[in-house]
Amino acid sequence: MEKKQIFLFFLGLLAFAQFFGQSDSVIVLDEVILSDAKLRHFSKGTKVRAINDSVQQKSGSSLTDVLRYNSNIYFKENGYGMVSSASFRGTNAQQTAVVWNGININSQLTGQTDFNTLIPGNYGDVVVRSGGGSVQYGSGAVGGTILLNDSFEFNDGWKNSLRTSYGSYNTSKLAYNTSIGKEKTSFQIGINHIASENDYKYLGTDRRNENGAYDHINVNANFGYVLSDRQIIKVFHNTFSGDRDFSGTLTAPADEKYRDLNHRSLLELSSFNEFKIARLKVGHLYERYRYFQNKQRDEFSFGKANTVLANYDYKYQLEKITLNGIIDFSAVWAKGTSIEEANRNLISGTFLFSHDLSDKLNYGLNLRKEVVSDYDSPFLFSLNSSFRAANIYAINMNASKNYRVPTFNDLYWEGAGASGNLEVLPETSWQLELGQTLEVKNSALSLNVYSITTDNLIQWRPNDQGVWMAMNVQDVSQYGMELGFDWKKKWGNQEMVLESEYAFTKSIDNTTNNQLLYVPEHVFRSNLAYQYKKLAAYYQFLYNGQVYTTTDNSDSLPGYIIGNMGLDYHWPNISGIKFILGIKVNNLFNKNYQNVAYRPMPNRNFQLQLITKF
Amino acid sequence: MKIRNVFLSLFIIGLSWSCSNDDNGEVHEPMGDYANGILVSNEGPFSNGTGTVSFISEDLSVVNNGIFKSTNDEDLGNVVQSIGFSGEEAFIVANVSNNINVVNRYTFEKIASITEGLNNPRYFIEANGKGYVTNWGDTADDTDDYVAIINLQNYTVEGIISVVLGPEAILSKGDMVYVAHQGAWGQNNKVSVINTTSNEVVKTLTVGDVPNSMQLDASGNLWVLASGKPAYTEDETAGVLSKINTSTNEVDTNFDFEITEHPGKLNLDGSTLYYYLGGSVYKHNLSGTSLDRESALDDVSFYTMVVNNGRLYGTDAGDYASNGTIAVYDLSTELALETFTVGIIPGGIYFN
Repeated sequence: MEKKQIFLFFLGLLAFAQFFGQSDSVIVLDEVILSDAKLRHFSKGTKVRAINDSVQQKSGSSLTDVLRYNSNIYFKENGYGMVSSASFRGTNAQQTAVVWNGININSQLTGQTDFNTLIPGNYGDVVVRSGGGSVQYGSGAVGGTILLNDSFEFNDGWKNSLRTSYGSYNTSKLAYNTSIGKEKTSFQIGINHIASENDYKYLGTDRRNENGAYDHINVNANFGYVLSDRQIIKVFHNTFSGDRDFSGTLTAPADEKYRDLNHRSLLELSSFNEFKIARLKVGHLYERYRYFQNKQRDEFSFGKANTVLANYDYKYQLEKITLNGIIDFSAVWAKGTSIEEANRNLISGTFLFSHDLSDKLNYGLNLRKEVVSDYDSPFLFSLNSSFRAANIYAINMNASKNYRVPTFNDLYWEGAGASGNLEVLPETSWQLELGQTLEVKNSALSLNVYSITTDNLIQWRPNDQGVWMAMNVQDVSQYGMELGFDWKKKWGNQEMVLESEYAFTKSIDNTTNNQLLYVPEHVFRSNLAYQYKKLAAYYQFLYNGQVYTTTDNSDSLPGYIIGNMGLDYHWPNISGIKFILGIKVNNLFNKNYQNVAYRPMPNRNFQLQLITKF
Repeated sequence: MKIRNVFLSLFIIGLSWSCSNDDNGEVHEPMGDYANGILVSNEGPFSNGTGTVSFISEDLSVVNNGIFKSTNDEDLGNVVQSIGFSGEEAFIVANVSNNINVVNRYTFEKIASITEGLNNPRYFIEANGKGYVTNWGDTADDTDDYVAIINLQNYTVEGIISVVLGPEAILSKGDMVYVAHQGAWGQNNKVSVINTTSNEVVKTLTVGDVPNSMQLDASGNLWVLASGKPAYTEDETAGVLSKINTSTNEVDTNFDFEITEHPGKLNLDGSTLYYYLGGSVYKHNLSGTSLDRESALDDVSFYTMVVNNGRLYGTDAGDYASNGTIAVYDLSTELALETFTVGIIPGGIYFN
């Protein structure tokens, strides 16, 4: 009944759109100002793309949803909303770093980030930085880095935003964000709650996603205080608490449950003048999971890790040269059902150098070395350069050596039939990238080609006794091409924005020459937005090519095309209150598709959203 | 097709085949596409997907993979642990999916599926007109393990027999069913003796730690091979080969291995036992008074192996994420005759 009503409502809206005359539409995409110095100064020659707030709000409830349609990262999702891991430029889940306000937050236990446990919408910006970045961002920045940054607004008054949403599978979202910016203080707090029964139909069967419900709460709170005109103190906090039932597969039911808890806190004191910025950061990260194999029972297995970190960062501007030195200390303690108390201490030194030879030519050199208590860490570097050969044309290049360190699971796991391995080495990766951009008035064209070679890939395999262990078993290579095209046009009271990208990715096992698991060779995606007066419509398109599901490439999942469509109406202000009413249809073509074998994704579904700003 | 069905119905009547007498050189008329050959059960990927069954013709000339799917256009289920037989029916056990698909063992046409009453099912045996299936139960509960009793007329679970932790391999002798308790995710050291006339555990024997495989010899002795506890338990114990007298149900002799030796995959061919230990296959004569330690095959690594009529069939699961292989060795020459690509993680070998 519920769905029928929503559908009727949608039909109504369609008719409404028709009335306004073939209106499809676009919202002006505000430019995001990069708040991170490592991005602004020391990533020249690297492909960086910011995803702004309005796109985040349109794109659903998780970072998976946002990035799936706004980057060329492939996500392996164990059913919608379940564990989601990234494959960036053909690399594996541990080879994408997620960085929160400058701090790498990949799990210490698994080395990866579950992108369904990050809720966009309350971060100031989400930035996708393609390619190697281990010097700047640490372990896992091999395929690329996702940066979540909070920004501080001073002298900005009191702003509130309330988003409520309801849709198929009893999915409800509530997000409230308030910020106060005074002359010397800035305070922002955002709270999200997302819950869904997520019992979507498995198309082509008479079954549903029986055990897939989720319930997430996310809190972001930030506080900034101007101590003097040369000093500012900032406090960042993020808490995520997630409760998910883990859905089964087409061949096996499930009654599992998984609970996540993350706390991230950071205190930053910066002091600056015209030439230098010195920053001291002190932070604490806490991660914990609880896995209930049978949700009817009380038993669970768990893992948790505490990280305490301190970092001193000194940046100096010497005319055309920017220098930056960073010293990092961190200590990690991990414990779990299968990990006895284990700890790791790390000291790293980073040196970043960027030189503007002229207005057109810049180059940079970045170095990093770590000393770690439980493994030998390689020396890392990156070299980058950008050259604006003409007003409309620029060439970028970079070369880097990156790494992914063994996780606590890789080293210390002890369980039935599986064991960590203290001998395991960090993965090291070398890469080269060449990019070109061509920008004319309304359009931009970009072409990037890259090559990555990774040695000592860490994988779990059974040893002679049949015990599964982490081992450095494989050398792999990736190479690929990314072609992007952006276009926008404004005329009268209409505006249209098109943003699209094609990616070709080869990711091969150097021994067998086979394409690695779950890496599509071809991905094409496109976002089209159109705005007519107060009505905005958008369309998200994704073609995801075939992926192999076995290492001998004997079995595969077929490629698929997904289309999502949305319509927003920006109500005229009512006594200073702005309303935006939106509807979104996901999987418009009702396509039966999977991005992990035997784990179907949702059928066509609907979502209504009301955003109130005051 | 019709003619084949006629042949089938004719041949099904009165025929009773079992593993031990089906390759005695007699020439049988084909009873189905998959008569006269080797069935290989492939576990399939662990976390998602389906297991499969491969067929290799007796003359080693033809391999058909995924025969259940190609015959019935459906998946077997997640982690195909084993196949058990009863007359001309095969019971294909999928342990994560908690189901058993019943098929005609020669045509592979599906007869029924058993989806209720199973919880982590492992192995099937027929005894006294019923099916018996070992089940781990919930792996978080060490006390809910059981043997399910299958009604072979309507293919339902009609009762359960509670047993100690981790029932695994199962075999029958007359009215008695013997269950080796490997210990599920942990370790155990028991063999349960079930009387199928009362469906009760009449005795629980203690054998070596982690009993993984059993064989019954022609004189009525039950041989149980236990691998011992592995090193990671920090309580490593030696493997033990136990000889059990099935008329008294007492352990007759224990043959102990060294403490770091963890043998497995016990097989019987003629009067010789074969087992796998650390990269080699060893022989032990049934009448031996101590472990013979004579190697039959060296420098090998098998996920599972079966010895039959002088040939050894051993599988390789490769990287566990691609199709595995099965190699056929002639034990007299110790040479591989053929190697076939089968499905993902080939874990069971049976003879049709």
